[in-house]
Amino acid sequence: MTTARLARAGRALLPRVLAIALLTGAWQLLVVIGVQSPTGVPLPGPGDAVGAMADLTRQGLLLPALLNTITRAATGYALALVIGTIIGAAVARVPLLRSAVGSLLAGLQALPSVVWVPIAALFLVAGGHDENAMYFVVVMGAFPSIAMGVMSSYDNIPPLTFRLARSLGAKGPQLYRHFIFSALLPGYVAGMKQAWAFSWRSLMAAELIIGSLAGAGLGTLLDNGRALLDLPEMFAAVLTILIVGIAVDDVIFSPVERALLRRRGLLAA
Amino acid sequence: MNLALRARPRLLVAEEADEVAVRLAGVTKVYGKGRGSVTALDDVSLDVGKGEFVCILGASGCGKSTLLSLIAGLDRATAGRIDTPVAHPAVMFQEPGLLPWLTVRRNVELPLRLRHSADGERRVIVNRLLAMVKLIDFADSRPHELSGGMRQRAALARALAQDSQLLLMDEPFAALDAITRDSLHDDLTRIWGDCGNTIIFVTHNVREAVRLADRVVLMTSRPGRVGRIWDVDIPRPRTLDSADVAALATEITATLRLEVSSDDR
Repeated sequence: MTTARLARAGRALLPRVLAIALLTGAWQLLVVIGVQSPTGVPLPGPGDAVGAMADLTRQGLLLPALLNTITRAATGYALALVIGTIIGAAVARVPLLRSAVGSLLAGLQALPSVVWVPIAALFLVAGGHDENAMYFVVVMGAFPSIAMGVMSSYDNIPPLTFRLARSLGAKGPQLYRHFIFSALLPGYVAGMKQAWAFSWRSLMAAELIIGSLAGAGLGTLLDNGRALLDLPEMFAAVLTILIVGIAVDDVIFSPVERALLRRRGLLAA
Repeated sequence: MNLALRARPRLLVAEEADEVAVRLAGVTKVYGKGRGSVTALDDVSLDVGKGEFVCILGASGCGKSTLLSLIAGLDRATAGRIDTPVAHPAVMFQEPGLLPWLTVRRNVELPLRLRHSADGERRVIVNRLLAMVKLIDFADSRPHELSGGMRQRAALARALAQDSQLLLMDEPFAALDAITRDSLHDDLTRIWGDCGNTIIFVTHNVREAVRLADRVVLMTSRPGRVGRIWDVDIPRPRTLDSADVAALATEITATLRLEVSSDDR
């Protein structure tokens, strides 16, 4: 039983391990054939990047930066979740609002949130609110996905569900509790998942460009590496950013989404 | 008009409550306004007795489903009166409409939860209903794990959980294969016999109507009106292929065919 489960986990993991090995190999190949920047700085290899991660950790730079960034991401994401949910619910339920801002939301979702960085820099950073500037950029990047998630999953509730609720005499709070909330859930989680990806990249753009007096983040680390021409540090920062992005999706969003879909028979096995 | 519907004094209804489960008087339903409007139902009047099993039969588009929606209170009549003195009706739709995030048990107990019935009582009732529709072994399954027939059984149990003396069924077995449908006919007949409730069953299947009903009401199309009504005196249990059922079905089909062909002209 346990061996069977181990074997299954191994089979699931194998393609990922292979893909990572392949990419690392390709990266190493670029190093071996001597790729370098126009100014003559050689491309660091995977080993250099991991070494730089270890160095940065020893110097006490990596973990605080990681913590700062994750705290910012979590705070900004939480704000986006609240704002996006309220706006999404309002737009879904109020026809006038929908015709007014429905398409605007879709536009905002497609708008790269990095465009907000210069504006945030001018209005907030200059006033000494650099943390708020970053939250602003994260919220602008993430809330449209949440709102769209609520709106489109509300639209996708089968009309029969509402007819059923009416014929069972469910109104007001009962209608929401027993029918609407549960029906919304898969679409809402999909929106949350996408919003996480958007908030993570928005935050990186903000950290790279704005920086913060309150504390260096992963983006700051990357910018420092650029300033000092320390390419291994830059790659160490990129790797860390990538790993956090994948880990949050893998540990939080994907399992929840899969469990929801499986329960409803929307996922094979 | 809706005001008139609502304002009907309760006392008037009470005198007749002993015999009548549903009373339709001059029910008319028009969709849209002006030149583009469509009259789905025109002056439909019909009494359904308490404990009666009535099948409303008609070609597609004759307004029979509209009529059921009106009785269920899911839609409003343009004119006329609908009285359901016995109870707020329970409805079963063509699709099972089970909530995919709930187990079969939770789906069936939903009407009881909405009424805030006590846990213990709820369990007893739901177990009884699940046994009645032969789903006791599937109580913890999810809807997607059931066959089409089992889903409709679960939907039937949920409708029965509303504990209404009036059950409205809108072509509930139309999407099922013949054998599954036949066994559901048996179950429905047995359950109706046990519960003594009133059933209005909409279908376009003549044999199904004859097999199930005390009375078959044929509706004409465009606009929907009550055409002929047949009393079905064939003793139960009936089977789909018995000579009596077949003979009456043939007679009704002939009338229905006339109706459809005159409609096509």
